[in-house]
Amino acid sequence: MDLVEQNLSDPDWQELTMSDEEFRRARSRYKLRALVPVVGFLGPFLFLWSVFLATPMVWSIWLSFNTGGLIDEAKFVGLENWSRMLSNDELVRSLKNTATYVVIAIFVVFSLALLIASLLNSNKRGQNFFKVALYFPLLVPPIMAGMIFFFLTHYDMGIINLVLQAMNQEKLNFLGDNPNALLTIVSLEVWRGLGFWVLFFLAGLQSIPADLIDAAKIDGAGSMRRFRKISIPTLRPLLLFAVIIALIFNFQLFDSVQVLTKGGPVLGTTSVVWFIYKRLFAFQDIGLAYATSVGLLLLVVVLTVVAYGFLGKKSENSN
Amino acid sequence: MSLKSEHTKELHDLALQNSRIRRTKSVIAYAVLGLFVFASVGPIIYIISPAFRESKSLFSYPPQWLPNSFYLGNFKFLLSETNYIRWGINTFIFATGVTVIALIIDTLAGYAFARMEFPGKKIIFGLVLATLMVPTAALLAPTYLLVRNLDDWTFGLIGLDTYGGLIIPMTVSPLGVFMMRQFIETLPKGLFEAARIDGASEWRIFTRIVLPLMKPAVVVLGIFVFMMQWANFLWPLVITTKDETRVLTVGIATLQGQFVTNWGVIAAATLMTLAPITLVFLFFQRWFVQASMAGALKQ
Repeated sequence: MDLVEQNLSDPDWQELTMSDEEFRRARSRYKLRALVPVVGFLGPFLFLWSVFLATPMVWSIWLSFNTGGLIDEAKFVGLENWSRMLSNDELVRSLKNTATYVVIAIFVVFSLALLIASLLNSNKRGQNFFKVALYFPLLVPPIMAGMIFFFLTHYDMGIINLVLQAMNQEKLNFLGDNPNALLTIVSLEVWRGLGFWVLFFLAGLQSIPADLIDAAKIDGAGSMRRFRKISIPTLRPLLLFAVIIALIFNFQLFDSVQVLTKGGPVLGTTSVVWFIYKRLFAFQDIGLAYATSVGLLLLVVVLTVVAYGFLGKKSENSN
Repeated sequence: MSLKSEHTKELHDLALQNSRIRRTKSVIAYAVLGLFVFASVGPIIYIISPAFRESKSLFSYPPQWLPNSFYLGNFKFLLSETNYIRWGINTFIFATGVTVIALIIDTLAGYAFARMEFPGKKIIFGLVLATLMVPTAALLAPTYLLVRNLDDWTFGLIGLDTYGGLIIPMTVSPLGVFMMRQFIETLPKGLFEAARIDGASEWRIFTRIVLPLMKPAVVVLGIFVFMMQWANFLWPLVITTKDETRVLTVGIATLQGQFVTNWGVIAAATLMTLAPITLVFLFFQRWFVQASMAGALKQ
């Protein structure tokens, strides 16, 4: 006889069985109890996330139809902020500056980082020293990197100009002229960010299987060809991730502008975040700052999606 | 025989030529690398010189590379006339506070998303992921208003010019949760199931099995968060109004005068600020390097 059937016919066993109603109640009680640890584990993050990330996000959309609220009461103004935003010359200028900065910085940093990473990958001796030395600038917060850059690029006191002067060359106006000022800010980001991306790409290059490269070598592929046909395709998903991270990060340009140029000369280095900050806390055009914040949010989201579509598709094709 | 030796000679020449090319190549490679190391480290080392000189000597011509005498006035000014020490303490509390809280909530949530089943898990995780790419600067205004309003609600715990207001909003990072979840997912499933069958609670599984295995991931995330907040400028600038509540980045920025700037003092402040973090870095360099390589390997 089957063990189960035997058990079922056992009167003791039948007594232990619950009625449907009891079973339903027990099940929901069990499910509720199983949720307790979930709340314990997820609760702290989810609570802080909803208060300090989700709420500000929704709130910022509502705020973009308002003005005031910092010193006085907020006032609903409808679409006025948005229409003013689209016709504000300084904002257009800030957006152009930021976009120029982002494009040049990402292009230069990534090219140099790829070059250095592949040099390090094929020249193993002293690799650790180079890694540490190139990482060093990342310890310097952008504010202090700005201060350091003053000692290099200041018109009268900067060491570069003092050396140029000693060589009877004309002094360069790094910060007081356009487009030099923006390029100086780009070079600060290049200086600070290079080490991070070198290590990032080096890790990617080291993950390429050695036999793949050896096979290509035997087939007579030169180093340039190997780089283009093996390294770049393998690095493509990595590159996608890198571009998105760098986009989000660099579009928030503020620190070096605030310390080096304060947006000048003649709006040559104003950035979007600097524009928002000024409207919020200095020029008190708060409504415009609200709308621009949402604009920045939308812009970054759109750019991320575009970068994803663009690079994601290419990596699919190459596979 | 002679043919063979001729052949060998030819091969030998080729190999010699090859190794010469390789050597030239690696000389060029190291020259380029050396140049970049110089460009990376040079500016930081140069800051030592103006830190030990009087500000007016900085403008002297021809350029003075080394200080004549070790002038300590800049450091004295910094320690006696400014709140430098206080800024340093604030920076330490700020960056450490954010790191500790972020590590706790991120590992817990990462575990929940990776290894627990509950209704609505996919939707909640999707919502959190959707905020991954939100630039924090875009939320400056509402977060500022929020913290200002919370002052009454939290009995002054979170508000302008408080550690709570400085720290708590910066602890929320979907990226951290995402990283921790990814890491826990790589741990073998059998580990958890065995423990669950043995009747271990989720908390026990988390503290006894998961946490010890997560040490490298936790260190990497910790360094990452700490370095971000150590360099943070915009949020502390906005949320602090008094000199005693400022952090180093904001404090040093205020040393830059409206009309006259005491450059020697700024150099001294920069040097003094970079010295301790450099020591920490040199001590734990392996972990720092790993922290920025980890992102690439996780892909």
